[in-house]
Amino acid sequence: MKLPSGRRAAISMSLGTLLLAGILAPSHPTALAAQSAAAPAPKPIHASALQIQLIQAEDVKLPAEFQMAMYEHVVEEVDKTHRFEHVYRDGDRDAANAPDLVTLKCTVTGFKQGSAEKRQVTTVAGKTSVTVHLVFTDKNGQTLFENGVEGKVRFLGENLRATFDFGKKVAAVVRQDFTPAKPAHKA
Amino acid sequence: MQKFHRRVFLSALILMATFAAYSPLADAQNSAITTFHVKHVIGLQAIQHNTNGQATVSKDALTFTSGPTKSDLAISGIEDVQTGADSQRIIGGTLGTLTMFAPYGSGRFLSLFRSKIDTLTIEYRDPNVGLHGAIFTLPQGQASVLKAQLVAAGAKASPVPAQEAPKQ
Repeated sequence: MKLPSGRRAAISMSLGTLLLAGILAPSHPTALAAQSAAAPAPKPIHASALQIQLIQAEDVKLPAEFQMAMYEHVVEEVDKTHRFEHVYRDGDRDAANAPDLVTLKCTVTGFKQGSAEKRQVTTVAGKTSVTVHLVFTDKNGQTLFENGVEGKVRFLGENLRATFDFGKKVAAVVRQDFTPAKPAHKA
Repeated sequence: MQKFHRRVFLSALILMATFAAYSPLADAQNSAITTFHVKHVIGLQAIQHNTNGQATVSKDALTFTSGPTKSDLAISGIEDVQTGADSQRIIGGTLGTLTMFAPYGSGRFLSLFRSKIDTLTIEYRDPNVGLHGAIFTLPQGQASVLKAQLVAAGAKASPVPAQEAPKQ
């Protein structure tokens, strides 16, 4: 059956529009709003102090410099968020006096040491990544929430840059899930 | 006969070069280092990341000096010292990043030139018993010397497991 050329053009145009709508629909703002309305985001937690424990890597072989760089970057980046009046380090004696202390425990679940040389030469190969499971607990040891974070360096930078990326991502989690310590610190 | 002499001469030359590389004199020179040219990667208080400077070990402290800034790390607070190996671009920093945009892939070619470096990770406690980690990079072969000097001064260091010991 042969269709007239005008109708054929109209059909192909409407089919194209339908296809485009199908592609765009999931990322449309109204669709996203409907999804977020179905599952309301948890309320941000208020805490005056956070103690960051040393990064644990029980089942993963993690070089010492990565372990300590990750820990240092997390302390620095979380402190910059201004969500807590005090950010205590592992073992700090003063943490025991904090009334609503939250403890962050990070456990490395995966580590892939790439190659900076490969990254710089090929751009696509040699990625370094470290995946970490975060657990935030209150003073009684009860879990407040858990999260997974991946620190990586894909293009520019040496391998240790993945630890900086990890610190930034932990800070983003803290920024999202904790209320600011003081109104003056509002970002 | 001439061929045999040449072979003997070459073998002797190789043998001498090998001995020179591992001579006790070279070891003595390394252990005699008193000032180490290091790069502070992260972890020292009041010192910016990736700062070049000098590290010296005295009786009770590891001192890092970079121009007018100075940071002391008490030996008694050191809980562990670990060495590692890494490599870095010979042309680093901003210039190194800019070479990525050089024409005809020359930046990628330049990034093939890398130098081997040592890493030294120091785990220490502040007066409040809070844990810190300081990371330094040094020229190849010097991290173990600095570690030995720290241990001799009284710093604690966990022994390197036999299967994880770096291959020389």
